[in-house]
Amino acid sequence: MSTEFHNLQELRHSVSVATKVFIQRDYSQGTTCRFQTKFPSELDSRIERTLLEDTVKTLNSYYAEAEKMGGQSYMEGCLACATAYLIFLCMETRYEKMLKKISGYIQEQNEKIYAPRGLLLTDPIERGMRVIEVSVFEDRGSSGSSHSSSVSSGGISQR
Amino acid sequence: MPTSGDERIKASAFIPVSTAAVLLVGSTTLFFVFTCPWLAVTVSTYVPPCSAILFFLVLANFTMATFMDAGVLPMANEDEDKDDDLRAPLYKNVDVKGVQVRLKWCASCHFYRPPRCSHCSVCDHCVEDFDHHCPWVNNCIGRRNYRYFFLFLLSLTMHMVGVFSGSLLYILHHQEDLLKLHCTVTLVVMSVSGLFFIPVLGLTGFHLYLVSRGRTTNEQVTGKFQGGVNPFTLGCCGNLEYLICSPISPKYTARPIKKSAVRIMPPFLKPETDRQIPIIRVRDNGVQRHDLQSKRLSADGMDEPDIKRLNTPPPLHPKPDPKLLKSHLAALEGHYLSSEPILARVDQQLAFQSGPMSSPHQLNSLTLNSHFLTHKHAYRHGNKLPALHSEGLISQKVSPGRFPPHNPLSSRSSFSYSNLVNPGDPNYLPQRGGPPLHYHPQFLTLGLDGSVLQGSPSHSYSPVFMGALMHRDLSPQTLIHREASPIRYDNLSKSIVASIKERQEMEAKDRMLRMQARSQALYGCPDMGVYDIPSRRSLPADSMRPPGSRAPTPPSYGSREFMMSTGILGYAGTRSPLSSASSSSLTRAPRTSSSPLQSSGLQSKGRSPSPSYLPPDRQAKPSSSSSTLPHTPSSSSAPLCLCGSREDINMQLWE
Repeated sequence: MSTEFHNLQELRHSVSVATKVFIQRDYSQGTTCRFQTKFPSELDSRIERTLLEDTVKTLNSYYAEAEKMGGQSYMEGCLACATAYLIFLCMETRYEKMLKKISGYIQEQNEKIYAPRGLLLTDPIERGMRVIEVSVFEDRGSSGSSHSSSVSSGGISQR
Repeated sequence: MPTSGDERIKASAFIPVSTAAVLLVGSTTLFFVFTCPWLAVTVSTYVPPCSAILFFLVLANFTMATFMDAGVLPMANEDEDKDDDLRAPLYKNVDVKGVQVRLKWCASCHFYRPPRCSHCSVCDHCVEDFDHHCPWVNNCIGRRNYRYFFLFLLSLTMHMVGVFSGSLLYILHHQEDLLKLHCTVTLVVMSVSGLFFIPVLGLTGFHLYLVSRGRTTNEQVTGKFQGGVNPFTLGCCGNLEYLICSPISPKYTARPIKKSAVRIMPPFLKPETDRQIPIIRVRDNGVQRHDLQSKRLSADGMDEPDIKRLNTPPPLHPKPDPKLLKSHLAALEGHYLSSEPILARVDQQLAFQSGPMSSPHQLNSLTLNSHFLTHKHAYRHGNKLPALHSEGLISQKVSPGRFPPHNPLSSRSSFSYSNLVNPGDPNYLPQRGGPPLHYHPQFLTLGLDGSVLQGSPSHSYSPVFMGALMHRDLSPQTLIHREASPIRYDNLSKSIVASIKERQEMEAKDRMLRMQARSQALYGCPDMGVYDIPSRRSLPADSMRPPGSRAPTPPSYGSREFMMSTGILGYAGTRSPLSSASSSSLTRAPRTSSSPLQSSGLQSKGRSPSPSYLPPDRQAKPSSSSSTLPHTPSSSSAPLCLCGSREDINMQLWE
């Protein structure tokens, strides 16, 4: 594992990832996409509980909306079937649109809330919707640590 | 040759799908050319268009079922499973709508498979809502393409019915011209469609049944919900609605990565510090002090990861002595960073142990286990053990690979144990020569037992430090001595405690010489709980865990963590990758190797009962690992044998 640094890191500060905290999926409602809102204790010292919980709840609501079975999804299916699924070449599905919205939301949250606290959320879609990866950056000016792991991509640095 | 074999396998995988495609397209084309014109004239002009539409539907669904990603879950990053690999068990339970569903750890993909997810061995990836791998479309059928597969089956059935009946009608009306081209072709088409109609109809009916019950083929075949409740079903109508109307879930692999920059620069904001958790700190002199600092907000990152790490593993089994272990952990946690206290503690433990037999042994093991735990966790988090390293205390080298987190304990302890176990064994001849470093010469011998350590001094003077001294931070001395020596826990029996104690004393003396400011005190330090500490320097921080924090989770006995912690007492791991394999045989397959050890029968799908870690299992483990490592003749269960003639060994070894 090579240590990668964040895109806009200043080298003299060289912030690196100290650890990663994973917020797991909540399967209590079935296989619909939900993440646990339980606050991980590892982040207790880095961020207020309510902020992270709000973020996760918002994400859950977005995913629920994306997976909602309703008129729009039905029409989408019928149209796709009628056009022998060629419509997928031209049109973006509703889920994909929601994913873009989610990605933008995560980006915004990262910029406003998490980056100032030395954290970084990774879009769950990059992890197969299994976890929300929270990268915890070292809280030091100079890293000088030999044990830092690679930085998560978080849709931010290249993978 | 694997390459040609793989190629052959890959080529052969295309045979069914090619056959299906050829048959489908070919037969239908012939039908349209030779039979449909007559049908259009005789029966109805709408026959050809309807057949054409149906045929296009069949083709479209067939194409989607063949080429669409079934919902492949990408492999987990290394960071994600780093911890889980070590500690977590093979199975994990989650509650889905009130029903306990078992999640299995996928050794190939390195995560716990979500519910209904399964690993396709043909395609070698995990698929969400895995149904089956269909050879006729040469693709996995899973969450994303199940509807296309189902619609393909339905439409194909209807198409075959249409083709068969049309062909039959034609034949019946042209019985006198059977030898003509048209009739012959129609006969061929009819026979093909008739031949494949039965299996296709059967499969369609089967999937209709599955949809009505809300099961996948995989679940039906494995009998998962035969007798129980299926938490994933939405009712017959709900399932059909879900099949047809649910939105198409996104692809997880090969997504376009959009790069956006987020600036992360210290200093970082911290949460409000108004939350004060009273921390009871027991001073060295026994005076309790209530520290009102929020423990989480302290800059001391040392104990946090330890606590966190100990918190994370889900306890799987009822722990044999949770209270005991917790008390040990609580008592010892604050000291893991300081070498002296640890040494002293081990000393004390050993001293304590040398008295009574069985229970202290247990106590000792548990205590040592807790040490291992703390060390392991601390180490894993990159916590330095500066005291340890600066004092040149250790370390044994962990074998290369990913074991350091797992096996240092076992391997290191083996040195001491094995040495003592077979005093008569030529491999273990105690050599009383001068230690290369400050270690007792006896331990030199230990190293040589598998000729692993060539005069290396660094076999950890105490098993306690093994966990602490993972591969990462090595003092120069320890770096010299990388090796993987087999553990001979089967020979632990008697002299372990004595040898450890002796070693501890030696190392403590060495350290004393080297460290300048060491306070010798604290005998009978109250926070040590059961034992006295002969010498330790004043602890810098809380020696007891703050009350607000969760107790460090005692090792779950179905986990590798417990294996590690108890490894000192007879776990027959090895320093090689195989050791991690064996250690994880009761948990999960290690990332790096799938060794024969895993298949040795130790592999348990579920959690191993905690008592099984005790001698009976240890008996099995040494035997399984012996195939790969030189092994001393196994003795009776090591930990219990410790209670044996300890005094005798003491007499022998201590001059």
